[in-house]
Amino acid sequence: MIPIRRSLAETHVTLAYLLLVLFAGARGGRAIALATAGLAFLCFDWFFLQPYGTLALTNPLHWLVLVAFLVASVVATQLFERTRTEVALRESVRARDAVIASLSHDLRTPLTTIKALAHDMALSDDRALTIEEEADRLHALVGDLLDLSRLTSGRSLPLHVEPNEAEDLLGAALQRVAAHANGREIRVSLDDRNPLLFARFDFAQTLRILVNLLDNALKYSPATAIVDVRVRREDSRLAFYVDDRGSGIASAERERVFEPFYRPPGVPPDVHGAGLGLSIARALAVAQGGTLDYQPRVDGGSTFVLRLPAVDVSTTD
Amino acid sequence: MLTDVVLIIDDEPQIRRVVRHALEHDVARVLEAPTGREGIDTAAAQRPTLIVLDLGLPDMTGADVCREIRHWSSAPIVVLSARHSDREKVELLDAGADDYVTKPFSTTEFQARIRAQLRRLRLSPASADLQTIDADGVTIDVVKPAVVKDGTAVRLTKTEWEVLRTLVRHKGRTLTHRQLFTAVWGNSYGDAQQYLRVHIRSVRRKIERDPVRPRLIVTEPGVGYRFEG
Repeated sequence: MIPIRRSLAETHVTLAYLLLVLFAGARGGRAIALATAGLAFLCFDWFFLQPYGTLALTNPLHWLVLVAFLVASVVATQLFERTRTEVALRESVRARDAVIASLSHDLRTPLTTIKALAHDMALSDDRALTIEEEADRLHALVGDLLDLSRLTSGRSLPLHVEPNEAEDLLGAALQRVAAHANGREIRVSLDDRNPLLFARFDFAQTLRILVNLLDNALKYSPATAIVDVRVRREDSRLAFYVDDRGSGIASAERERVFEPFYRPPGVPPDVHGAGLGLSIARALAVAQGGTLDYQPRVDGGSTFVLRLPAVDVSTTD
Repeated sequence: MLTDVVLIIDDEPQIRRVVRHALEHDVARVLEAPTGREGIDTAAAQRPTLIVLDLGLPDMTGADVCREIRHWSSAPIVVLSARHSDREKVELLDAGADDYVTKPFSTTEFQARIRAQLRRLRLSPASADLQTIDADGVTIDVVKPAVVKDGTAVRLTKTEWEVLRTLVRHKGRTLTHRQLFTAVWGNSYGDAQQYLRVHIRSVRRKIERDPVRPRLIVTEPGVGYRFEG
């Protein structure tokens, strides 16, 4: 021990012991790290501090070495534990994403088969049409649940946000809604002050938001009532207003309609839906740097406002 | 007499059966392949009229299958895709696919898409020297070039005309944003998407009856545009 002791300064020794403490913290957890810190200090005192071979401390500053060892052991275990938790979390998120992906893929095959068989059977028995419709509902519901689980877990859907045009989006939304609008009138008004209404958004996902708002507006208002869509540039935002002439939403319910599975009281039983549409719509709006809010319509009914980051575009040929 | 032969490349036997049943009255024969590799081999050996390609193959990506077949075959490829995969659809159309149907699809819709592709295939020699198109009160003379809406000549800028002509030339087929942009401007740069959208909007305003409810230039959300009519 003596020749080693001669060639080493106290600092070298403490650093070597510190490494030992850190290693114990990484591998053994807090109790072992603390025990190692204590033992390391005793060894340091016994072998490397004069008088050698005793535990007596002549310089009170050497207590600092013990404090440093203990602090290092606690900090090291905390850091390593946190890393371990993060790794485990990442693993579990990866595993869940894989389950979601395979679930959504695996569900489509039986649903496609069910739909196709129902279609063939419908030629002789029109009850089979119901099977096809229900398969569609099931598909939509499963899709919504999977999206909601991704959106609420902070792992948002892959979004392709780029400059898009409002008229283009509206056209696609009106085309999609037309199938179940039963000839209902949807009146469109665009902001005349701005010829080019551009915003940054994911076209397909924003289309879902708008279709959901239009579907709701048609569903929750009288069959003869007009639904309005207005697009306005508001400073740095592009706003889409969807107005219906339904019975509106009571003030206590106005935020709750954006909660998953919430269905406002008094919804007619023939109005289908699991109460996921608006919660997904809002999460999608937020994920793109936008907002989705409710406001009562002045002459009765509801207005839902989707706001997205506007883009200034010049017309060059 | 039916002469068309369709090849379905899908690892799920149930889907292959559904596709076979859906097409049995429209085509002479339906060939099946459970993997991408076997699909490519069958396509090379049997030269089908049309190929139905699923995206979730165990051995290869759909885009790779598409690209490989496109090296030596111009048979229409219709892709069976899943929801939430617009990027995948774009990649496949860019790789040479002609159309896609989203699972779970309705038999009627699927049959309609396949029939449209077969019809297009039969018309294609004539459509190569297609001169004018009449749709929704609009006459488009591709050669002249001239556009007349309700008897009045429509003035288009050079770029607007190029956008319209590209879409008309591929009537009934969805062109991705990139395909359209490359055809009109030559290559992609900076604000490509934005330019394209500005010009689509102005063409629609000039030729559509109601630009908010377009009937000629239809948007395929997240994918591109298609000329109908």
